[in-house]
This record gives sequence, C-alpha cells and structure tokens, in this order.
Amino acid sequence: MGLFSSLIQRKFKNIAGKRYERILREYREFLLTEEEMVLPEIKSILIPLDRFISEIPKEVYETLSAYKEAKFVLVYIIDAQVFHMIEQTLGREASEEFRKKEESDGMYLLEKIAKDFEELGIAPQLRLFFGDKSEDVITLAEKHDMLVLSKAYGSEITKTHPLSPIVLKIVQHVTIPVIVY
Amino acid sequence: MNPEAVAIAVFLFTYALVVSERIHRAVAAMFGASIVLFLRIMPWEKVPKYLDLNTLFLLMGMMIIVNTARNSGLFEYVAIKTAKLARGSPIRVLLLFSVVTAIVSSVLDNVTTVLLLTPMLLYISRLMDLNPVPFLLSEIFASNIGGTATLIGDPPNIMIGSAAKLSFNEFLINMGPIAAVDLVVTVLIIYLAYNNVLKVTPKKKVMIKQTLRGLDEKAAIKDIRLFRKSVAIIMFVVALFFIHDKLGIEPAVVALLGASLILLWTREDPEGIFEKIEWPALFFFGGLFLIVGALEETGTIARVAEWVLAHVHTQGQALLAITWFSAFSSAIVDNIPLTAAMIPLIKHMGASMNVYPLWWALSLGACLGGNGTAIGASANVVVIGIAEREGIRMTFADFLKVGMVIMVITVAIGVGILWVRYIGW
Repeated sequence: MGLFSSLIQRKFKNIAGKRYERILREYREFLLTEEEMVLPEIKSILIPLDRFISEIPKEVYETLSAYKEAKFVLVYIIDAQVFHMIEQTLGREASEEFRKKEESDGMYLLEKIAKDFEELGIAPQLRLFFGDKSEDVITLAEKHDMLVLSKAYGSEITKTHPLSPIVLKIVQHVTIPVIVY
Repeated sequence: MNPEAVAIAVFLFTYALVVSERIHRAVAAMFGASIVLFLRIMPWEKVPKYLDLNTLFLLMGMMIIVNTARNSGLFEYVAIKTAKLARGSPIRVLLLFSVVTAIVSSVLDNVTTVLLLTPMLLYISRLMDLNPVPFLLSEIFASNIGGTATLIGDPPNIMIGSAAKLSFNEFLINMGPIAAVDLVVTVLIIYLAYNNVLKVTPKKKVMIKQTLRGLDEKAAIKDIRLFRKSVAIIMFVVALFFIHDKLGIEPAVVALLGASLILLWTREDPEGIFEKIEWPALFFFGGLFLIVGALEETGTIARVAEWVLAHVHTQGQALLAITWFSAFSSAIVDNIPLTAAMIPLIKHMGASMNVYPLWWALSLGACLGGNGTAIGASANVVVIGIAEREGIRMTFADFLKVGMVIMVITVAIGVGILWVRYIGW
C-alpha cells in the first residue's frame, strides 16, 4: 500500500469510523448484487430425507412449485454406520430387523411426499439407500442445482439442536442454493 | 517559559498531527488542549468563553436528527429514487446525483451525505459498465459546493456563523447564489472532461432501465411512520432555520429543538441514537477551540492581525487575501482547524475595517478550497476511501489535476460575485 493510499485509509477510518460498513449492510438488504442480477437456472432439485423427517411444510411445496419444469429427486438415506454398529453389537437378526423397518419407513415417507408433489403436478424420482448422510448428500448435490433440507435432517437421538450439525456441515460444503425448512 | 512560544508550538504540533493523521485528530486536538490547560496558558475559567457551544450543540443536534432519520431508510430511499430518475443515462446520473448531493449536503453534513450516496453511485456506474471516477468526482465537488450554500452545510460555516452572529438567511443570500453557479460550472467541466467515456449503447440502456425498474425505493423504507415523522421534522427544522434570527434564537437552539422533538415523537431508543453521535468530531472541535483560544490569550492572533493589516490596506485586498489564502490552505490542511484559526484573526481585523464581506470570503475559501486536493475535505477522503475499498484507484495526482482546476475556477467565480456585491465595479 502506497503512502497516499495508507493516508487515505487512516483518514477514512478516523472520519467515517464503522458507519460505511453499516450503510453498506443496509444497502445490501434491498439492492441486487451483480451475481443476483443473473437468476440461476434450476433444472434439478435434490431433497434428502431420513427418519427424523415426517413431512415437508406447505410453504416449501409452494416455493418449489415455482420450479415445475425441474427434475425433483427425493432421496431417503439410512445411516450405514448405525446399521453396521447394530450388526456388530446386537447381531445379524437385530440389524436385519432394523434394515426392514428403516426401508419400510423410508418407502412410506417417500411415497407420501411424492403424492404431495404429484398433487402439484410434479412427478419426483424416488431413491432409498444406505450411506453417509452428509458425505453422500454433498456428493449428490454436485449433480443438482438446488438442495432442499429439513433442519432436522441427520439429527441425533440423544441431543436436540435448533439446526442439525449434519445440515450445518452440508450447507458449508455445497455450492448450490439451499433451502432449509 | 514563554507562553506564546508554547501556544504556537502546541498549535503547530497539533496541526501537523491532524495533517498526517498518525494519531486520531480528536486525540491530537484533545492532547493539545490538555497541554495549554495544564500549563495554564489557557486559564480554566476562560474555557467557557472559547468553547463555542453554539457550534458544538448545532452539530450535536443535527447529528441526532440525521441518525434518527437514518433508521427509517430515508436516505437510501432518496438514493434509489435518484438512480431511477436517471433512467440509465450517464449524463442524467451525473447531473441528478450532483444536484441531489449538493442539496442534501446543504442541509446535512457532507460526510453523511457522501457515505449514503456513494454506494448507490458505484452500483449504478457498475450497472452502466462505465468508469465511476467522473461520477465520484462530481459527487465530491457537489458535496463541498452544496455545503458552502448554507449555515448548516459545512462545519466552517457553522463556526463562522456562530462567531460572526450570521443568520441562516444571510448565508443563503450570500453563499447560495455562488454555490448554484459553481455547481453548474463544475458539472459542465466534468461533463466536458469526461464526455467521451460517459456513453452507453441503446441496448445497454434498455437493460439498465429494466434493472433499475426492478429496484423498489419503497423497500428501502424500514419504518414508514418513522420515515414520515423524520421528513416532517427535517422540514420543520429547515423552516425554523429560515426564521431563527427573527425569533431571536440561536441556530443551535433550532437543532436541539429538532433533535428533542424527533426523539420525543418517534420514540426511537435514545441510547442507540446518542451512541451514534460523532463524539470524536465534537471533541476535535472542542480541542481546536481551546488551542486557538490559547493563541488569542497570549496575543499571537492580535499580532498576526496587526501584521496582516499593515500589509493589507483595503477591504478588496483583504477579501482577495483571505479567500485565496484560506482556499489554498484548505486544500492542504483540514478546513476546520484553518477556520478555527482564521476566525479570531478576522475578528481582530474588525477594529480597522468592515469585516462583514471577509466572513463570506473565509466561508468561500474554507469550503471550496477543500476541492483542491484529495485530502482537502472530509468528503474527498470518504469517497476516495470507499472507491479504494471497491477496487477503484484514484491517485493524489489524478485528483489534483481535476480538483485544482475546479477549486480555482469555483473560488474565482465566488470571489468575483463577492467583489461585485461588496466592493463594486
């Protein structure tokens, strides 16, 4: 930084203080940025689900109905690590019981939500698999244009968080727009 | 210990610190004031005499009004409205933003004005895909010119008005026409200098218009009731300024009345508003008043006035000398300390000549001299500082080339008008 530049910045700091940052923040609330001037094209929407989600709120359906032309993918993920832990600690029978219950609950939820989407004229693709709830979503998100996540996705049974740590991790890693409901 | 030598040393040392800005100017002024008080060069009992409460309370009152009104989104509303009125034409942007900046600066302080308008100006110049420098330069010059027009537009005017007991209307009558002519000339010069870069294609213009249409100025209003009340209070305060001399009340009383009314009516959190008062600026003023007061106490100012009077024999010579000296000095030193030092000098000259025109000469030089260099006025520093943060480089020499021309022409026009009015053909 040159002499003039550092003098200007010193004087600026002394005269304006933190007022400029405040004003800029206020402008940003309603002024479109250059990036916002170009609306991103949404061709594919990923909606991860798990055992901690029972429904999608009506407002989210309303928002998503604006993207009727897009491809919707509902994916129910069962925690593979939990499955293996049950198998190792409680035996094969218990793990099989867990798998069957999870698959049945998962299919029920997927079909229920798919039906709600169909009422809006959207026919979503359904997927169910065992995997890592954060890593798999982060990988899958690379092939989609928008991610719709419940704040309870990937919650821990013993702890309550206003926003699940898994959701926080996903949001920090994906580069596409995210709707958290 | 020679008190006069110490007072001069403190004065020069403080001014050097203010120019270099190595230490915050408020701290520098406070330190200088503390020294003259500690050494009893400025006796404690004389502090109320030198501490110009009219200036301090006028500034404080206006700061309260502006900070309360700001919470409503009023100024962002004005900025968006101006951008939309320009309808994607670079010439209109240049003209409208210059006029709006000058008008707002004539009522509010220049720093607040440019802080609020520059982000919008940068946004719109990016939208037009044009070099923002001409727009930023015209904003700086318009702000300094607008501030010259009224008693409350620029701190030097507040100080001059308080010291010489000049009314709001006297400022408007004497400095208003000069500011109006100077604004027209300045915009014309900027237009002629940058005409070749102030062009957009018709296709681009349509795109800009569409984007601007998408901007909703009403979205900037955070609280419509506060917005309406703020507009009403500002109008009331300005109206009261017009008649303060007829009512026999000081401008500071008008500002304090407006400040208390806006707080009472809007029920905004007073603690939050008081926190936003620019206390460093007020301490800077207070410190300077005492440092210059020490020069008066020791007789330095009287001796300088005698020397000036020995060399300046007529009112015309004094008018030219004060105008050009304060203009070129203001281009280098902050105009506030310069005005603080010049006021007692002109007061002393009052013993031998009618100094009424000289107050306008000081106002003209101190306010418009700031246009000369990048560090001449606070508005310049703020706009260049914002530009730098946004990746737009404006060097000292870049500014000097345009600023000096604008300064010399606008001051010459002003001094010409004053000459015709007070000295005659």
